[in-house]
Amino acid sequence: MKVLSPLDSAAEVELLADAGAGEFYCGLLDERWHDRYPVMSINRRPAGKGHFRTFSDLREAVDRAHGLGLPVFFTLNEHYYTAGQYELLWFYIDGALEAGIDAFIVTDFGLIASLQERNYRMPLHCSTGTTVFNSRSVHFFMELGVVNITLPRHLSVAELGCLSSHVSGVGLTVFILNSRCVNVDGFCTFQHGLAGREIPPMYRNACMLPFQVSGFRMHERGQPAVLTQEACQVRRQKLWERVHVDDYPCGACALYDLHRMGIGSVKIVGRGNPLERKHSDVRFISSLIERAAEAGGDRDEFLRHARGLYAQTYERTCRPFMCYYPELL
Amino acid sequence: MEQALYITRIEQLEYMRDNFTRMYFGAEFCERLIPNPDDVSRIAVFACERGLGLTLMTPYVTDAGLERLVPVLDAVHAQSMPVEVVFNDWGVLHLLRHDYPGFVPVMGRLLNKTKRGPRIMNIIDQLPGTCRDYFESCVLSVGAACDFLKHRSVRRVEFDNQLQGIRLVTTDPEIAKSLYVPYVFVSTTRYCLSAGCDDPDRMDYVGVQDCSRECRDYVFQLDNPVMRVPLLRRGNAVFYVNDRMPETIADGCFDRIVVQPEMPV
Repeated sequence: MKVLSPLDSAAEVELLADAGAGEFYCGLLDERWHDRYPVMSINRRPAGKGHFRTFSDLREAVDRAHGLGLPVFFTLNEHYYTAGQYELLWFYIDGALEAGIDAFIVTDFGLIASLQERNYRMPLHCSTGTTVFNSRSVHFFMELGVVNITLPRHLSVAELGCLSSHVSGVGLTVFILNSRCVNVDGFCTFQHGLAGREIPPMYRNACMLPFQVSGFRMHERGQPAVLTQEACQVRRQKLWERVHVDDYPCGACALYDLHRMGIGSVKIVGRGNPLERKHSDVRFISSLIERAAEAGGDRDEFLRHARGLYAQTYERTCRPFMCYYPELL
Repeated sequence: MEQALYITRIEQLEYMRDNFTRMYFGAEFCERLIPNPDDVSRIAVFACERGLGLTLMTPYVTDAGLERLVPVLDAVHAQSMPVEVVFNDWGVLHLLRHDYPGFVPVMGRLLNKTKRGPRIMNIIDQLPGTCRDYFESCVLSVGAACDFLKHRSVRRVEFDNQLQGIRLVTTDPEIAKSLYVPYVFVSTTRYCLSAGCDDPDRMDYVGVQDCSRECRDYVFQLDNPVMRVPLLRRGNAVFYVNDRMPETIADGCFDRIVVQPEMPV
């Protein structure tokens, strides 16, 4: 099982590889796109940090990664593109190919179809935005030639086990660290980053804004009853404003099971994070993968070790709302 | 313009009126709400007896959900009537094409990923035309996307009545389009905040967990000044209401209105 690590610059390659990265994903966004589409990305990350800025930088990163035997995947994973965007999109696609990237990470079936229509032979990976929740869906994308699929965050360990047992011949990637989206990524139609950081209500993720919540108990007949603000049903609806999706969410405890399911790689979210953070994230997960792979390993002992290492690395205890797989807590 | 009634429970048949010539029935957002085969059979008989078209709604599903869907599809198949099946999961389309080729597949609004968050309306008038075009257009503006669907026998796509409007004039006329009113889907989760919400001990639990169908008991309204309209959360889905028809409906791009008398959860 490999660590799929974010990559924002060529200078990061060796350090992240040394920490245990087994493959990289990255994106490129420059003024060509930003000038035309200032409030929407080409790859699910807002403009600013978290992107390569030039194809020459991308090529250097790819060359350095390939020198270490590591592949680099290029994100073109917006949920959909429209016809007017394609002229520019082909520019980025061709540029990434010339830079030597190893695969495109895509979501949009229109893009998959367009690449096939033009006979592009580059391997395709499905991003989590393709919402592959079941083995039939895996087969659907395998028939399109997809070679790797990042599964949605919102699958339990048992559901991941069931899905993975029904498929073969395709790589599966599972989220393991950071950005535990509260909604299903590929079905969420909120647009984040509609303004700069200086206007938080427009910049922040819509799901985490503070909302005035009114609750109603429905009745088959008659008017709904209004719930008090103190009612636990109402207070629970405010959970997303109390917890931040990036407060070090973690699924490391599942590595023991994921390894035995044959999951090919685990994804660390983090394009745009400082290198130090990326480095510690990769080292944390890669060391646990080694531990999980040890023959004859004891599951309970692994779970204890993973929780201890999480507390030591991130100076936080395990919390159910920050756990990717809280059924393991 | 065809008018269809969309209900999720058999008790909602009381909403049926003479102007409806088609009935949508089923679940879009949660596999636990897939109706039982007996109810689906009753709906199919009801539709058949009245000469109504029938469209079965299906949600995104895990492998367990796929198994739950099979007897439902079998129940409809046994009625020997033309049936549309709305898929919101590519795996369900795969199932339909391989095991139920007689059904007519329709791409659901979850796979039609137009942006629907109401915050867009705060800035849409100040955005460059390229951005407005993106927000008002959709994947069907891409010819290869339309060919992709048609190659898989998909000739209808479902749309929400998003606040910023919808432009479809550049899309393939061979793909029919339905418009859902008045509830606009915005987002869905499997970390359902209604599941277990009666239990204070589960207050901070966020994950795929057991539930008692609390979504049938509660509705929550979420207000924030930056949202132009209140958000409505029922179960694992978020909606808002837009009962104003898009100006572009005059273009004739939509041939069907799907009326949701209640939030479809």
